[in-house]
Amino acid sequence: MQKTDMEKIIEFTGYKKKDFSVCLGCKICASVCTLNDFDMHANPQGLLLKIFLGDNTVTDDPLIKNCVSCYRCTDACPWQIRIPEVVRAIREILEYSSPFEKAFKGSISIWGRVYEPYIFMNAIGFLMKNGYLKHFMKWTEYISFHLPRKIKRI
Amino acid sequence: MKYSYYPGCSLTGSAKRLDVATKKILTKLGYDIKEIPEWNCCGAVEYGNKEELIKLSRENLKKAEAVSKTIIAPCPACYRNLKESDRDADFNIYNPLDMFNVADIKKLGIQKDLKNMVFTPYYGCVLLRPKETAIKNRNIIEEIITDFGGELDGEKIRDRCCGGNLFFSNKEMTEKCVNLIASRSKGIFVVYCPLCHMAINTFSNRKVVYITDIILYILGERKNI
Repeated sequence: MQKTDMEKIIEFTGYKKKDFSVCLGCKICASVCTLNDFDMHANPQGLLLKIFLGDNTVTDDPLIKNCVSCYRCTDACPWQIRIPEVVRAIREILEYSSPFEKAFKGSISIWGRVYEPYIFMNAIGFLMKNGYLKHFMKWTEYISFHLPRKIKRI
Repeated sequence: MKYSYYPGCSLTGSAKRLDVATKKILTKLGYDIKEIPEWNCCGAVEYGNKEELIKLSRENLKKAEAVSKTIIAPCPACYRNLKESDRDADFNIYNPLDMFNVADIKKLGIQKDLKNMVFTPYYGCVLLRPKETAIKNRNIIEEIITDFGGELDGEKIRDRCCGGNLFFSNKEMTEKCVNLIASRSKGIFVVYCPLCHMAINTFSNRKVVYITDIILYILGERKNI
């Protein structure tokens, strides 16, 4: 990752670099982090520090793969720093998204809305490979067919 | 007074039932709701660039002006994104959970109660966090269940994460989260978020219902919970 990428990550979150300097290092975020219910050694404060220092190893952080965006860290943080949004910004820069998520955004850019059949068709390979189809029986109640409609954008 | 209604993508697809039930209850409660014309997707949590995400909801706010500046958004993700995009607080944005209350439901005529049933109220993340965009009454699901005779369980996991956010990228994580909340509670899960519904339903063998299903059951509009 390049220096400009680090700057971009901060820009994407809507924060300024100095907003992260207020972190007291109390690690209450780590103590409430959902990932640590499963012994994943997540340290949101460490991730924030790496971004602040421009440390490239941030890309290996377990939060990049596993952060569930629960905002428990934010809720507990004395400064209410929104670490899940920092993680999402890093994912965006690393282009860390599944084919399903890519299709999701694709649907929005085509119609302005989510059109589920389009997403499923585009992500079918990913869904099959990763064992999603076995859940299909439980998903019948979610399936309703409707045609796509392109909405007007302002 | 008119209210702008923003269903969002889930409620027109996978959570159609939640849309129908929410509109039915709001109408019974006397809210005059009208769907925002040509609304677009709120972007959920799929955008790493916050400005890009906020822009989508800002567009919806503009479209809502034609109906009313008071907006009702049932889907928790849509609700949060709309609130976040309304930086100058020009609009009043509500989740239907903030419009439901026991006294008003009672006025609609009670047909059934919830006696001898055990429920796990489950809010998940988005409705309760971050604080700035959280719903006002953080106990509404419990209030409805207990007032009509239902029993509660799983108090400690009501705001834990279902992992639904990673459902279509890293489902092992979602499965772990659901296993945790299911192992620390019992009875029927009561949710309001379409993604929580799908995640819990997929990875646990317990029944999952929307709070609107329960309200309609109490009012005699649904045979079973």
